Amino acid sequence: MSHVSPQGSGHPGEERTRPDAGAGDALVPGERPRRTSPRVVLVHTATFRQARQLVPALIPVAAVVGLDDGLTTVVVLAVAVTLLSLATAALSWWRFSYADRETAVVVTRGLLARSVRTVPNDRIRGVEVEAPPLHRLVGLVRVRIDAAAGSVGTNEEELVVDGVPRAEGDRLRARLLSRRPAAAAGPGPDGAGQPAEEEITRLSARWLLYAPLVGSYLVVPVAAVGTLVRLLQELPDAVVPDLAGPEPSPQLLAVALLAALPAMALTAVVGAAVVNWRYRLVRRGGSLVAVRGLLTRRHTELEVDRIRGGTLSEGLGMRWVRAARVNALVTGLGQANRRGQLLPLGPRSEALLLLGRLVEDPGPLTGHPRAALRRRLARALTAGLLVTAGGLWAAAALGWWPLPVAGLVLTVLGVPMGIGRYRALGHCAGPRSFSVRSGWLVREQAVLQRRAVVGWQVRQSPLQRRAGLATVLACVGAGSGGYAAVDMAAADVAGFTAAASSGSWAGTLAPR
Amino acid sequence: MTADAAEPDAGTPVRDPAWPLSRSAIGLWVVEGVLGTLFWVVVVVAVLSFLPDVGPAPVLRWLLPSLLAVDAVVTIGIRPWVRYRVHRWEVTGEAVYTLTGWLTRTWTLVPISRIQTVDVTRGVLQQLFGLATVAVLTASSQGTVRVLHLEADVAQRVADDLARRAELVRDEAT
Repeated sequence: MSHVSPQGSGHPGEERTRPDAGAGDALVPGERPRRTSPRVVLVHTATFRQARQLVPALIPVAAVVGLDDGLTTVVVLAVAVTLLSLATAALSWWRFSYADRETAVVVTRGLLARSVRTVPNDRIRGVEVEAPPLHRLVGLVRVRIDAAAGSVGTNEEELVVDGVPRAEGDRLRARLLSRRPAAAAGPGPDGAGQPAEEEITRLSARWLLYAPLVGSYLVVPVAAVGTLVRLLQELPDAVVPDLAGPEPSPQLLAVALLAALPAMALTAVVGAAVVNWRYRLVRRGGSLVAVRGLLTRRHTELEVDRIRGGTLSEGLGMRWVRAARVNALVTGLGQANRRGQLLPLGPRSEALLLLGRLVEDPGPLTGHPRAALRRRLARALTAGLLVTAGGLWAAAALGWWPLPVAGLVLTVLGVPMGIGRYRALGHCAGPRSFSVRSGWLVREQAVLQRRAVVGWQVRQSPLQRRAGLATVLACVGAGSGGYAAVDMAAADVAGFTAAASSGSWAGTLAPR
Repeated sequence: MTADAAEPDAGTPVRDPAWPLSRSAIGLWVVEGVLGTLFWVVVVVAVLSFLPDVGPAPVLRWLLPSLLAVDAVVTIGIRPWVRYRVHRWEVTGEAVYTLTGWLTRTWTLVPISRIQTVDVTRGVLQQLFGLATVAVLTASSQGTVRVLHLEADVAQRVADDLARRAELVRDEAT
């Protein structure tokens, strides 16, 4: 249907790609191998991109030479490493070339061993153009080409063309994605300013206030502090000023932590603003395009035809303020969390609207039987009770009391956790789609088209068997590969699977 | 033979597939159990010979061997037969259907129209018993059906048949 003409499985002459680009390539236009801009060498030198791989080899060398902590050593080292970085960056630039042919993208690279990868155009699922800060400084972008993820490898599904001029990046994206028949009025090779662009959402400044309650943004300041501390530890002692003051008391630490809270909240907001700067989601022809980011501008493009559903995730903190994020589930595209992200942060109502555009709403969720609650509670309490029991033994034997107290606290906390986990459970099947939900720390609801299901897996442990429950996993060729309805009533399994898959094949499961 | 597996039971979520595995599978599982037990015997002997005679060590001197004995009885004497009674498979007009496990049971159903590849593998032990495994792969990393331990010729026939039918009815397969 939506595929391009015969996909002439690669051209045999690829291996001949010569390092001196452009000279006398009398092939079809667009088949000439191109190289990235030489300016990218600067960027990679500054970031030690290639040289980083050599670090493990350098450490023993440094150990043998026997370095001391003197300032000159540091300077010499810095210069040497920079030169090395420059050399490797230049070498890998020189050995890299790419070509967007009529039927496939071919990337040739490798410092010593040559590697040629050919990705047929009809296996390309998305193209992302990003501009990290250093790239911007020299006017370049990085293009990530996502190819279909079969049931095989994880990292092998992405091609990266790092360091082409902005215009070339846009040309590449437009060219790779413009061959879709679904695209309205055959968009020309120019990426920008195409017709029929419909805006779906854009970032509203108020949404940034959710950030302090979202785990991943809260991690930003912590990670920054962590990096700083590690950096300080790795510097030679001579360079670091002596900061040793009086040993901090517990009270002082508590006050410092309290004072740090607003600062953390602020950094989370700033971090969210930087990452999601001028976020926009538009529909352009047959694709959904999400653009965001201040320092690194991310440009994600997904084919609407390949979207099979979406997930709505709400973390613990996000649920308090009714915030959510939405990822699209695209066939053949793994890592839905990064590559399918359509709404990174926003109000739940907005998220539901967006999800409704991706896939038809299957209706309200059905909760799971009380037996599932007992199982959730039993699990949530077990850890706490075990620690308490062990702690009591330790207290009796060694007179060590903090452990049983911690166990009791854990046990008490287990109750709301168990109840929360139970209340997250649910499933439902509508006329053209179905949905399952689970999770507590991050509650994730997956809504999928019925045709997305490529198989069902029903699991039942002896305990589930006694409780009359079973876990049903819908296998799909998108996202994480499977979405489960945990602990649903065993009697409902056959009905749900039949109602949630297209065609009659799932009727095989029905008890005779 | 199907007596208790097919019995209507409130706790069973779905029906069981119709066909049992080859009886040779029991022999194969027994051999696997014996090999596994031998491995653990070596480990336990090694641990016990290096054990100091102080602290909680004396407890281990009888605890480890008895755990090993229990494990051996289960994996050699019980599990192969339970597994054989649980494991079933079936190819219907529209789908491949299996039931695996021994304590926790897993039913897997994949429609023929969504099959991407069909593999037949024969492990070293399987070859001794003339058995083979058919693996049916789909676009989902979690939607793989494995029919363990069929007679080799049956496995090959099933795989050929599935591949041919998948070609005929294939829609998008994703």
